[in-house]
Amino acid sequence: MIAAALTIPFTVGLGLLFLRKLVSGRAAAGLGAASMAVSLVLLALVWEGKDTISGEVDTEWIEPLGARLHLGATAISWPFLLMTAFIGLLCCVWLIAGDTAPALVGLVLIISASSLGVFASLDFLLFFVFFELALIPMWFVISWWGDPHDSAGRTRAATRFLLFTVTGSALLLVGIVLVARDSGSLQFTEIDGGPLVAAVLIVLGFAVKTPLVPLHTWLPDAHSKAPTVGSVLLAAVFLKLGTYGLIISSGLLSASFADVAPYVAGAGVVGIIWSALACYAQDDLKRLIAYSSIGHMGFVALAISTMSPIGIAAAVFGSVAHGLVTGLLFFLSGSLKDRFGTASMRAIGRGLYARTPWLAVAFVFAAVASLGLPGLAGFWGELLSLRAAYEVGVLDKPYAWTALGLAVLGVALTTAYFVRAIRLLAQGEPVAQEADRDLAVRESVVSVALVVSILVLGLAPGLIVGLYDSGSTVTYEGTYTAVTP
Amino acid sequence: MNIPVDWSVVGPAVIVALGALVALLVDAFYSRRTWLGSGLPASIALVWAGIELFRLHDDIVPFTFALSLVILVGTLVVVVASNVMNFENAMPPGEYHFLLLAAAGGALMMVAARDLVTLIVALELLSLPSIALVGLRQGDQRAIKSAWTFFLASVVSTAITLMGVSLLYGVAGTLTYDGLNAGLSSTDLPDGVVAVAVILTIIGLLFKLGAVPFHVWIPDTYTGAPVMVAGFLSSVSKAASLGAVYTLLVVALPAAFDTWTTILAVVAAVTMTVGNLGALRQTNAISMLAWSSIAQAGFLIAPVAVVTRFGPKAAVQYLAVYVLANLVAFAALAVVLRLRGSTDYSELKGLARTDPPTGVPLVMAALTLAGFPPAVIGLVTKYVVIRPVIEAGETWLAVVMAVNVMLGLAYYLKFVVVLVDRPAIDDPYRSPSPPVSIRISKAAVLIGTAGLVALSAWPDLLLAHLP
Repeated sequence: MIAAALTIPFTVGLGLLFLRKLVSGRAAAGLGAASMAVSLVLLALVWEGKDTISGEVDTEWIEPLGARLHLGATAISWPFLLMTAFIGLLCCVWLIAGDTAPALVGLVLIISASSLGVFASLDFLLFFVFFELALIPMWFVISWWGDPHDSAGRTRAATRFLLFTVTGSALLLVGIVLVARDSGSLQFTEIDGGPLVAAVLIVLGFAVKTPLVPLHTWLPDAHSKAPTVGSVLLAAVFLKLGTYGLIISSGLLSASFADVAPYVAGAGVVGIIWSALACYAQDDLKRLIAYSSIGHMGFVALAISTMSPIGIAAAVFGSVAHGLVTGLLFFLSGSLKDRFGTASMRAIGRGLYARTPWLAVAFVFAAVASLGLPGLAGFWGELLSLRAAYEVGVLDKPYAWTALGLAVLGVALTTAYFVRAIRLLAQGEPVAQEADRDLAVRESVVSVALVVSILVLGLAPGLIVGLYDSGSTVTYEGTYTAVTP
Repeated sequence: MNIPVDWSVVGPAVIVALGALVALLVDAFYSRRTWLGSGLPASIALVWAGIELFRLHDDIVPFTFALSLVILVGTLVVVVASNVMNFENAMPPGEYHFLLLAAAGGALMMVAARDLVTLIVALELLSLPSIALVGLRQGDQRAIKSAWTFFLASVVSTAITLMGVSLLYGVAGTLTYDGLNAGLSSTDLPDGVVAVAVILTIIGLLFKLGAVPFHVWIPDTYTGAPVMVAGFLSSVSKAASLGAVYTLLVVALPAAFDTWTTILAVVAAVTMTVGNLGALRQTNAISMLAWSSIAQAGFLIAPVAVVTRFGPKAAVQYLAVYVLANLVAFAALAVVLRLRGSTDYSELKGLARTDPPTGVPLVMAALTLAGFPPAVIGLVTKYVVIRPVIEAGETWLAVVMAVNVMLGLAYYLKFVVVLVDRPAIDDPYRSPSPPVSIRISKAAVLIGTAGLVALSAWPDLLLAHLP
């Protein structure tokens, strides 16, 4: 079933690329949405419980290297899989519009399918192939369909994104070879530990993708120049490839990962504070959201670096919540950019409550979810991260608690800049503009779907946290059991 | 003097040499002088040599067998794709095939050589026809200039190698590999002399591989030579030198391991970096491939520099994929050059859309060389080639390789983007009806691409069987 969940969107995506002249944009997006919906349903049905590997597929691939086509959903990857398929589906729904290029839908499907492949892989080389597969399509998405007012800038942003990521993934490849040499296997189920060099290289590779400060410089440009669906996929799915990678490598490498964990925590906390400060300086809404992503990923990195069960729960929850919340934020800022031709908050003007009420309400909802209002999804990710830091995990107590203090400060700063954004856009004296239009049907559908899912996760966090009850032995050997104290 | 010749081992080389002679004779006595007239016997000779090679499979070292196979298949692709030059008055088909097969014979001898005189003779047998091939196009000043560059660089490096060989002879008193191995193992030899001798000897081979600092001739020669000759030099010639370097070092000079392993590791690192940096600036497909072939040479040397149980396998597997991808690229560019007169990026813009049978193979070849999915085989061979380096504990070299993968992607991607971009003109030029000979070349391109696609889907096809 997992194989079908990957191949269906992948095949449809390839088909749309080659037959792009034969279909209209609307039909292509509809077809894409249908295939992602099928994929989502299949992935939901595949679940067999948190103590096993669900829907495991394991066949021969490259025998001399010990690489196998090994797929399956674990307690860690399943939430990521569902979130990715869901976001992919919403991206296709978003594209159901007259002026959509069928090729763009094809690329979105290929990117989603490759990301699903990353989360579903239980073989390190296969993981890596999927990890790389999504990159070039994303380059085209940013460079060809990005910001229509800045064609040189979007290509520059796309190339910088690609080169940063590829540098990271090349180091990752070396790390994988090192791990495979030490363990004699590429299977997640069999890898146990690796040398310190491997941990450094692998963490560096994923840190570029996550991104952790100071390897984040590709992110603001790429997110702000990408088209709406590109920004959504980058924020909701691509960054998760990094955090997911960190989560599983923390389990696979346990001992040597613990040696680099303090640096991960440090980079995460610096990211939280630094990105919050950077957000104050932003006028471009998409850049603001992009910087806020760095902060959220900082919380996730902090959680992972504790290597404790609650840290894993926090990291998975934080990643999924960030995918939904930031996805919604990018969809809505895309709506604004479509209407006003720019994402500059000054140019869009104040008083959206009066001018485009539903759009404004959805935006404010997403913003307060992002700043961590209790009862919404964003809250639990941050709270669990702080709790993980409080419980210290593998970190030193003074270090972890310093990080905790700084992260709490970051929560306050985050609140402040989102409130600023809400004040600049939603509130104030309305100055009507010609382009004021409220949400169209497709935009409403996407927004409602995301709002509902954010509420559900916010009100019932047990849906994800329950997967990591303390004492349970989840997933394959190594990932999670190894870090259970 | 009695020189023992093991005919069973040189069989394929002799058949190829015979083919060369037949091709020349057919051309001399067959008045129409078409490309097929001499190309056909050349192809038959190559296939026959291949059959002979398989017959001898059990007598030959697997490493040598695999390299010979790569050389034969590579030359065959070059011969078939060279049909694109049919009816080009400046290119004499008989001489072309004669020289090409003579060089291929030299390449086969080089990987089979087990003594230094054979190696030098084979090296010359590969080099001299190659030089003539580069300058073969009549009345082409550029080609003649390139041939001169090639000639001078070649002669100098061979001379240096000969100095090394004579020093080795002076030290060990023998020229056979086994004798050298025994002679150098005795302890009372001056280390310095042995080190100098070894370094001088491998210089000639590094030159052929195009390793830094002996790479300067490559861009000049490749861009001036007929495209398929450049393809031959970048694939078959490299395969031969790689085989010769490896055999020489491992069979004859293991005693001097400490000397050459460090040097080669540094050479590998510098070569891939310089090649990639050079390629970044190119805006012509052939110059880009020329510089990229320097970088790829670095990736080929890396597993050889560190002798581990995976080393020779890794080098050959990487080489096989590189040769196939490179030949597909050169053959497709040869077609483009014939039909459009230029391989500048401005001319190639949108080729994958306007002319998929040549554009899509170029995309696939570039992605394979870059080691990027969907060309999974490129990625897998990158993994394969990094593995022995890690195995030997040279993590720094592996990291340099990783950084170079990124550098490589930068320009391969630029090339891919040019190919799939929206075409500059709405109604691009199409050849009214391409002559049969060009269709044959295109067929070679498509078969090569099919090979790359098949290998990407089932990497086992290559990795489990070669060598």
